[in-house]
Amino acid sequence: MTITSHGEELILDKERALYLPQHQLLAISDLHLGKSAHFRQAGVQVPATIGQSDMQRLSGLIEKYRPKTLLITGDMFHHGLNTDIDDFSDWRNAYADLKLLLVKGNHDKLSHADYASMQIEIHDPSFCLGPFCFIHDAPKNDADELYPISGHIHPGVTIVGKAKQRLKFPCFYFGNSYAVLPAFSLFTGLYNVYPKNNERIFAVTPKAVVEV
Amino acid sequence: MDQTKTKGYKQVKQWLKTHKRKPFQFQEEAWQYYLNGYSGLVNAPTGFGKTFSLFLAVVIEALNASENSNKKAKDRLQLIWITPLRSLAKDIARAMRETLLELELDWHVGVRNGDTSQAEKVQQKKSMPEILLITPESLHLLLAQKGSSTLFKNLKCIVADEWHELLGSKRGVLVELAVSRIKGLQKQEKQQFLRVWGISATIGNIEEALDVLEPDADTKRIIVKADLEKKILIKSILPDDIETLPWAGHLGLKLAYKLLPIIEKSKTTLIFINTRGQSEMWYQHLLNIEPELAGRIAIHHGSIDFELRNWIEDALHTGQLKAVIATSSLDLGVDFKPVDTVVQVGSPKGVARFLQRAGRSGHSPHETSKIYFLPTHALELVEAAAIKEAAKTNNIESREPFIMVFDTLVQYLVTLAIGDGFDDKVIYNEVKNTHAFKMILPEEWSWVMQFITSGGDSLSAYNEFKKVTKDEDGLWKVKSRQLAMRHRLHIGTIVSDAMLKVKFLSGGYVGMVEEYFVTRLKAGDNFRLAGRVLEFIHVKDMTVIVRNSKQKNAISPSWNGGRLPLSSNLGSVLRKKYNEALDKTHQDEELDVVYPLFLLQEKRSHVPRNDELLIELINNKEGFHLFAYPFEGRLVHEVLAALVAYRLSKLLPISFSIAMNDYGFELLSETEIPMDESIAYEVFSPKNLTEDITLSINSTEMARRKFRDIACISGLVFQGYPGKYVANKHLQSSAGLFFNVFSDYDPHNLLLRQAYDEVFYQQLEEPRLAAALERIQYGAIVITHPKSFTPLSFPIKVDSLRENMSSEELEQRISRMKAESDKIK
Repeated sequence: MTITSHGEELILDKERALYLPQHQLLAISDLHLGKSAHFRQAGVQVPATIGQSDMQRLSGLIEKYRPKTLLITGDMFHHGLNTDIDDFSDWRNAYADLKLLLVKGNHDKLSHADYASMQIEIHDPSFCLGPFCFIHDAPKNDADELYPISGHIHPGVTIVGKAKQRLKFPCFYFGNSYAVLPAFSLFTGLYNVYPKNNERIFAVTPKAVVEV
Repeated sequence: MDQTKTKGYKQVKQWLKTHKRKPFQFQEEAWQYYLNGYSGLVNAPTGFGKTFSLFLAVVIEALNASENSNKKAKDRLQLIWITPLRSLAKDIARAMRETLLELELDWHVGVRNGDTSQAEKVQQKKSMPEILLITPESLHLLLAQKGSSTLFKNLKCIVADEWHELLGSKRGVLVELAVSRIKGLQKQEKQQFLRVWGISATIGNIEEALDVLEPDADTKRIIVKADLEKKILIKSILPDDIETLPWAGHLGLKLAYKLLPIIEKSKTTLIFINTRGQSEMWYQHLLNIEPELAGRIAIHHGSIDFELRNWIEDALHTGQLKAVIATSSLDLGVDFKPVDTVVQVGSPKGVARFLQRAGRSGHSPHETSKIYFLPTHALELVEAAAIKEAAKTNNIESREPFIMVFDTLVQYLVTLAIGDGFDDKVIYNEVKNTHAFKMILPEEWSWVMQFITSGGDSLSAYNEFKKVTKDEDGLWKVKSRQLAMRHRLHIGTIVSDAMLKVKFLSGGYVGMVEEYFVTRLKAGDNFRLAGRVLEFIHVKDMTVIVRNSKQKNAISPSWNGGRLPLSSNLGSVLRKKYNEALDKTHQDEELDVVYPLFLLQEKRSHVPRNDELLIELINNKEGFHLFAYPFEGRLVHEVLAALVAYRLSKLLPISFSIAMNDYGFELLSETEIPMDESIAYEVFSPKNLTEDITLSINSTEMARRKFRDIACISGLVFQGYPGKYVANKHLQSSAGLFFNVFSDYDPHNLLLRQAYDEVFYQQLEEPRLAAALERIQYGAIVITHPKSFTPLSFPIKVDSLRENMSSEELEQRISRMKAESDKIK
């Protein structure tokens, strides 16, 4: 689905990603690399295939849009280094030409050397581009002129219909003062957001992105 | 050996005589069988000395044995007494101690459960008492301790008290597993004096109950039945006018004033309320309508602080209290002599539970138990009539034991790995000899072992997994202290939300509330707990800090307890009562009161006869409702509703929200539901039943909901723990997420299969469903179109717990829902 925000064209992809064609930039949030391995190390049985499928989805997006830049608005790495991260390094080598920017999130606690070894350019606390400012957790009361696009909360929306029907989806949130991207990783939960008047919510269903 | 010739027997008999008492015949029988090496089950009504039938058996044997004083402190343990409730342990321990003292047997009695202090537990570890009263969970915690395998060397007997209560839950499986391990340990030591006994109230499957507790057919086993009957008087509290009672609801406060004279003329009254939240409201309401009761009534439930509960129990013993409002926390065994009256508010949902509660009054032998039933809504009066009849005919439910619960097995194996470690070949044989896992296949066992050692069936997909590893001595162990600590906090099979302790700013604990409830509170808000109105100040160190409030009214926390379904025994009696009500072929005063409601039902729609299925189609601004009334109980209705919804959704794209109660179910849709007589026979047909049920379970949330408990019990999801919150944000997840992950990436996961099996075998009772559909096929289906809700449909309509089912395209559904909500705006 394509929308216009602050004079720029934005493509909302059902694989929980945002593409900015003018800048050839693909933005995702909350990748949580290494989360499944972190659970396994702690004795909780989470199959590694879930992390691998996140990487396959990311590859698919890169083949689809062929962006110059991949921007991650925080929580790229869940905890420390582990085998999931090794898998990511291999992936990174396969896309060596891709510029990779990370706006640091609360989970991103790796060392500078680790980021450098994976050719990740760090931006802390934010990365600004055109009318937008990408930041992990949107400021609650900002005086900034740029429109913040954030992640962090793993937004979800519950649609309530007649006859007591309810559906819940991950979503993109475009509010009056900031926007929130859905969490990219499939191994994440949802936090319900409630739009005020004139604010826009786009639900991510298995087949499409739908405005609600 | 004839016990009457033994020294111990004579001593006990003499002791009883000095108290002007004589053993009941069943007690003497139990002692004799115990002495002859039998395991077994004692079945006797409450108040006839069930405890003494086994406790004294062990004592007699000990008195007979020659003095043996050079026992090492660590393995003195003689008797493990398993109780389902913490509150039971204290009173039983007191009775045991008094007896031991008078019989001059130098034995210690210890209590070990969630309320036991850390200091006392450490002391027990150094020097075990001869008798240990313990909950199933604490017994597993004991097995999780290093060095625990030497504790049971001289153990003579394990008693599972109130075994009927444990049997029908996964806690029963905890007992089975612990017993299997202790037997195994004695076998290794070539010591085998262990006898396993249960104490059970009457249930439908008493033989099976013994089989579960002692599955070894080669042991000597016996059921000792007391030939005594408890007299029970059941009376309904009737409204003067049926209009007084609402058509739906769970509270019943409107009839509260009728309780006052009952409380007044009784010595002490126990008032049973089905949930903790409602009990808080009842307490407040009784004080509001009768301020004189202040200081003379108390409230008792599982979320009230231990010290406070203790105080209430003591006050009950001494008769200081006029009435206590309680939940199932006071259901069992404890003998409060002054209690002479019991009130049950709302449906007890089963005959056995009702009789159990009735037995809380007139506890002494030959006294009559007196119980009043207070209906919370009009149709519950019919249930009252049904319960009275079922009680009269002794139509008592069976408790179905759980089998093949892999979540519990996974937890047990990790428990052993935290303790002294285990040999998988030895434990496999022990586990396979339990009732719960006698059907386990070698490949299922391998899967469980893989799950705890390498994470899952595909090695590559679970790399870096660490939990249970093989030690140099060849035993499977958990090495990580952190992992061990986390596991210990989660031993048990009762799953609840994270609980926070509530404490006064000035010190002193009040009780516990769910974390979810606290998140909705702001500073200065008032809420009710333990019968007090408290002002919320803040949360500090995982403790809710409060002060006493001057406010009269406040919100009550809701603790998420499970909803009890109507038992099938009661369901069939209920169907019969509906027929009698309209025909006036009965003697029940309850049915006379409710008669006008039946007339209204008949006028607006129809009262279904025994051989009829009533379907009501009602169309209003909420949408199109379809109500059907098979009277098969909530659990069966849940599955049946999903089945009917699934079959209807095959006819055309349609979305339903589904609700049910014990009488029937509702399908609600925004589009018209196709229904006529021929469709009705088709969707209620027993044809292709198994296949269609599988498909309908797959397309609803039932298995997913079962998985909530499974994920907690098997250690996938960490729930909070009162006072001991493990803050580990990096490991936070939800059962729903795991359900998705396993469905997508590890569909052969046995825990996932268990979720479906639990729906299929525990909830569904396929024969019961097939019989119901068969009955419907050969009976008449009556379809009515009432203009408004009927007395039967209204209680279902207001039920908020709902299931969904859809055959529409998702995107289409969203756009339609959106269009609808735009119109409403």
